[in-house]
Amino acid sequence: MLGDSSKAQEVFHTTLREAALRAAQGELPREPFWLFRDARWRCLDATKTDLQPESLDLDEHDLAAHVASQIEELEPTQLAVWISGAPDPQRTALALFYLDEFDYQEILDLGELKLNELSRLLAQGRRQLQAWLDAKRPQQGTV
Amino acid sequence: MKMLRLLRRQRALLNCAPISHDRLADSSMRAAVARADDSDEFRNQQNFDRAVAELVHLIPIPPETAEWFSEKDLAVGSKWTWRKMARNPAVLAISIAVVVIAGVSVFQVLSGLNEFPGSATARKLLTVAASTRPVMLDPVSTEAETLSDLFFMKHGLEHYDVPAEFADFRTIGCRVFEDEESRRIAQIWLAEKRMQLFLFPAERNPKTGAVLRFPGWRYVHQEGWAGAVTERNGVCFMAALRGNEKDLASYISKTTAQ
Repeated sequence: MLGDSSKAQEVFHTTLREAALRAAQGELPREPFWLFRDARWRCLDATKTDLQPESLDLDEHDLAAHVASQIEELEPTQLAVWISGAPDPQRTALALFYLDEFDYQEILDLGELKLNELSRLLAQGRRQLQAWLDAKRPQQGTV
Repeated sequence: MKMLRLLRRQRALLNCAPISHDRLADSSMRAAVARADDSDEFRNQQNFDRAVAELVHLIPIPPETAEWFSEKDLAVGSKWTWRKMARNPAVLAISIAVVVIAGVSVFQVLSGLNEFPGSATARKLLTVAASTRPVMLDPVSTEAETLSDLFFMKHGLEHYDVPAEFADFRTIGCRVFEDEESRRIAQIWLAEKRMQLFLFPAERNPKTGAVLRFPGWRYVHQEGWAGAVTERNGVCFMAALRGNEKDLASYISKTTAQ
């Protein structure tokens, strides 16, 4: 969500500290995933004052059959930076989806999205990532 | 079936299809995935998602944060001890309840052991003995065993015999009276330790009318008085005195005592 480990750590600790305080005061919400929702808003808040990426229409490519090998060549931090550079709510959608910890209904709830929105954001994210991968290293045999 | 032919919702669902098949949340998602499983487009999407998810899991987590997700227990729970368990209010309440129930049960069992046919009447007569004064009885100075004839001839009471253990004691007085259930009770006052003897009808089975017998001597206690009771020929005999069981036991021959 942040692409910056120090910021991530700060948000993480702030979220836990607030949760502990609320627990001590008996004010923990009953709704599921409130902690994740809280953490997400803190992440968005932490990047509000940062330099925002220019709103560009990124290239989009169809997913290639050999995409797995392209992704394997990526550094994890490169992917983290790419996802954190996406505008919200796409960033939230991609981050929650690829954590592979939530089903789509939980992501809709957490990200306050509708099914069509989530579907569009994920599909667009895949195509944009594929285009970025293709730009980084055009595959052999690609015309 | 090609993706384009899928309904719009199903297409939306497919775009959100889980990376792991164990996260197929609902039937509509399962149906959409099942229909698209054979399509190349969907297979590419799944390969793409799996590869990205694997890489996401390799994104380094700051060590200070990673500590929170270590497999060690963050807070070690206090050890379970008997003392701690005993102080648990629920355990304490249950224990007290069990002890009370056990106590009542033991009391009832012990009470049951002391019960015998006629024991209730015997206790009432102990109360009578405590309140009787010598002037209430007809003065009779004789041996106790001779009063059997008096009870039979004067009052028509059959088998109101004083047992051999008390037959030779001198009497001060005697009377025959009816209790609240109209049973005829013979009462004898002895000079020996101001002991009183009672003869009363034995209890009977209300259905068959048969005498409810019990063997040997049984003891009852009431308000500082003790009674030794036996049954013979459908009549109960009780020797009563102020004191306890030991005071009576010495009068009862060891061969007949229980």
